[in-house]
Amino acid sequence: MGLAREFTKGLWDEIPPFRLVLGICATLAVTTEAKSGLGMGLATAFVLVFSNLLISMLRNLIPKKVRIAAYIVVIASFVVIVELLMQAYFYPLYKTLGIFVPLIVVNCIILGRAEAFASKNPVLPSIADGLGIGIGFTLSLTLVGAVRELLGNGTFFGIHVMWSSFKPFSIMLKPPGAFLCLGLILTVMNWVSAKQKRR
Amino acid sequence: MVFVLTAICAVSALVLAYANKATKPAREYQLLKYVEEPSIRKVLKGYDNDPIKDRIEMIVGRDKRGKPIKKIIFPAKKNGKIIGLAYASEGQGFHGSIEVMVGIGMNGTITGISIMRHSETPGLGARIVEPAFTKQFEGLKLSSALDLSSRGGKIDGVSGATHSSEGVVSAVRKALKLFPKAKKEVS
Repeated sequence: MGLAREFTKGLWDEIPPFRLVLGICATLAVTTEAKSGLGMGLATAFVLVFSNLLISMLRNLIPKKVRIAAYIVVIASFVVIVELLMQAYFYPLYKTLGIFVPLIVVNCIILGRAEAFASKNPVLPSIADGLGIGIGFTLSLTLVGAVRELLGNGTFFGIHVMWSSFKPFSIMLKPPGAFLCLGLILTVMNWVSAKQKRR
Repeated sequence: MVFVLTAICAVSALVLAYANKATKPAREYQLLKYVEEPSIRKVLKGYDNDPIKDRIEMIVGRDKRGKPIKKIIFPAKKNGKIIGLAYASEGQGFHGSIEVMVGIGMNGTITGISIMRHSETPGLGARIVEPAFTKQFEGLKLSSALDLSSRGGKIDGVSGATHSSEGVVSAVRKALKLFPKAKKEVS
């Protein structure tokens, strides 16, 4: 598999959280609007790329027995850096994401990629993998956020777009709305995949 | 095994300590910008500078260990000239302390006050945040008029919440007493 393949697999074949069903907690909790979905996705992507890079570099140094502990230390360090950067430059976003920023540490996507990919592959493919999965996750979260914001609030990135007599479905902003939205998007994705296969 | 893990943790600690230090000024700025600036905007009008960026730290006293107690002063400028100062002040309410942002013009009159934090009873003491109460402070100076009407002043307290009202009045008086010193500090 080439570098491009490692990158693009994260955008469709293994796109989290639809195909690679990890990181559901963050997906459900922060996607009430497109903006926070985008912010969360970017923060996760940042941590993913850098932790993949570092873990891949250290893969021959870290003893097997303590590898998970070592990965968590690496991931947690990057999460704290992201948290500090957000506080310093994107304070309102940091406020809306709240506790879910530090919780990126336990996002299974990151640990999953470290264990399944970065610990077994050289640096460049690991970066490509991290970028692909990270961008895929960002796209998914933004999409879920956009759909929920549109149906639940009638806005898109905070701008009012629905017609004036539109009654928002407030359920879309609550946790069940996230499941509904996830299921609907997955349906569309499966339908497209099935169509492609038939051809 | 132990060595590698120790080394990773040590490097991580170093990097984080550095990151913490490097982002500190920016983080402080953002915190003040989004927590304090809305209040500053309410109490001072017509400025064209960034009061957060121009903030000054003033030493107002020393604590038991002799460490200086600092207060942050936000100067409001128009065309480069200082037109007023805003800073936070505290008073004792019915349930804990009340934090008030006080805006003072350079002649010592109050341009506005805004309650930033309090934990007064909802429906009673919490009504100190209403403009009907806070507006009464505007234009007053440090004088006997700056007191509750029950004590000969010009301010009608929130009914049923004398303690809370007194807390605000004492916070504002405290702020005004500090004004001459603050004025000297900024000029």
